[in-house]
Amino acid sequence: MTIKIWKFFQREQLFECYQCARCTGSCPAMEVAPALGPRETILICLNQGHDRVVEDEKLWLCCTCNVCEDRCPQEIPICDLLVALRNSAARRGNIPIRLGMAIELLAKTGRSMIVHQLDEMRAHHGLAPLPPAPVDEVRDILKKTGLDEVIEI
Amino acid sequence: MKYALYLGCAIPIKYPGFEAATRLVCERLNVELVDLPFSCCPPPTSMKLVHYDSWLALAARNLCLAEEQGLDLLTLCSGCVNTLKEANHILKNSDSKRRRVNKFLEGHNHRFKGTIEVTHILDVLYQDTVVEKLLHEKVRDIPLRVGCHYGCHYFRPPKVMYPGELSDAESHVPVKMDHLLSIIGVEPTEYSRKFLCCGSPLGANMDQDAGYSITRQKLEYIHERNIQALSVVCPSCFEQFDMGQIVLARKTKEKRRIPTFYLTQLVGLALGLSPKDVGLDVHRIKPKKLLSGIDVA
Repeated sequence: MTIKIWKFFQREQLFECYQCARCTGSCPAMEVAPALGPRETILICLNQGHDRVVEDEKLWLCCTCNVCEDRCPQEIPICDLLVALRNSAARRGNIPIRLGMAIELLAKTGRSMIVHQLDEMRAHHGLAPLPPAPVDEVRDILKKTGLDEVIEI
Repeated sequence: MKYALYLGCAIPIKYPGFEAATRLVCERLNVELVDLPFSCCPPPTSMKLVHYDSWLALAARNLCLAEEQGLDLLTLCSGCVNTLKEANHILKNSDSKRRRVNKFLEGHNHRFKGTIEVTHILDVLYQDTVVEKLLHEKVRDIPLRVGCHYGCHYFRPPKVMYPGELSDAESHVPVKMDHLLSIIGVEPTEYSRKFLCCGSPLGANMDQDAGYSITRQKLEYIHERNIQALSVVCPSCFEQFDMGQIVLARKTKEKRRIPTFYLTQLVGLALGLSPKDVGLDVHRIKPKKLLSGIDVA
């Protein structure tokens, strides 16, 4: 199933971009990895359509730090666009392995960390054991929201 | 002053020392904490990117638990505060999204009403009454040159996180940690790229080496200013600096190591708690030598 990206982000906003690259110049991921970067992401969406971006795994090289949007002189809600593009990518199976595993863990345990020798560790700091997470409720909610469109739960 | 304590996942499971320090500090400063059966927030760096509806619905469930008790929600992590504050903002302002999410939750007797606020431990400690109490209860100063790292998700996007504290450029530059630490005798020290990412989300989702490259760049600027310790308000940022320096040193042969503290650990020390009380004994980079230099043991 696909999602309608332009429900999350008004398509017309793309035209506000004059490619000044302040976003990409501020992007910490761009400096250390072959990321697409916000400027190019917008340009590809405009010139070649968002499908090209959604299929590209470089789309995921991002810190989600929101600096791009914070510094955009045109006040384009870049992060809304990036979230929508990635939601769409995930539905098409373009999702980093590590991230997929993290989501699976969350859906199965209600938490995003593996619990290992926890009681001893907490007792060392004078803390009571951690109550169990509400796994059944979380799972049921995630079934209703349709997470299994992306990852089997 | 009473809050629903939202622990999140990383703190109670990976860094329970932060939880211990926070509980002790809050008790001393008359901040009452109530525990509720919360789930994962879920993170703005994972679930939100993969499945927006699931992200919003789980966040709404956590918000509902606090609403049902009539308590504001206190978070200890930059990621949790980002998710919960943003979800609260979205659901308060959009009738259609609220209706949609309430449908997902109705089988479990939850209904989002929009009656509470979400806050972070830094903002709670920064309140006048708490600061007054801190000044009164403080037994020692912590005279160290400390670099503060806030964590991007603590304050961005500023229009959602701190709408009342925007600069002329409609951005927000956080100062509360620097101010709060100066109260306990710390010398807050500026450094380049202070407000940029620690590298954690990039490492967690995609490429660990690339994530640590960002950390390395930040550390270079931190060393440049002769900073003795770092203070953070997020467990992911903490791990990136604490564990990160060990991992990076294998490659770079860097000898300098900068201990990292979670904010309430430093405040706890100033309140007379021991390093073990606040959980400093399990940090990868031990602050022992640094602390004995200022007679804290």
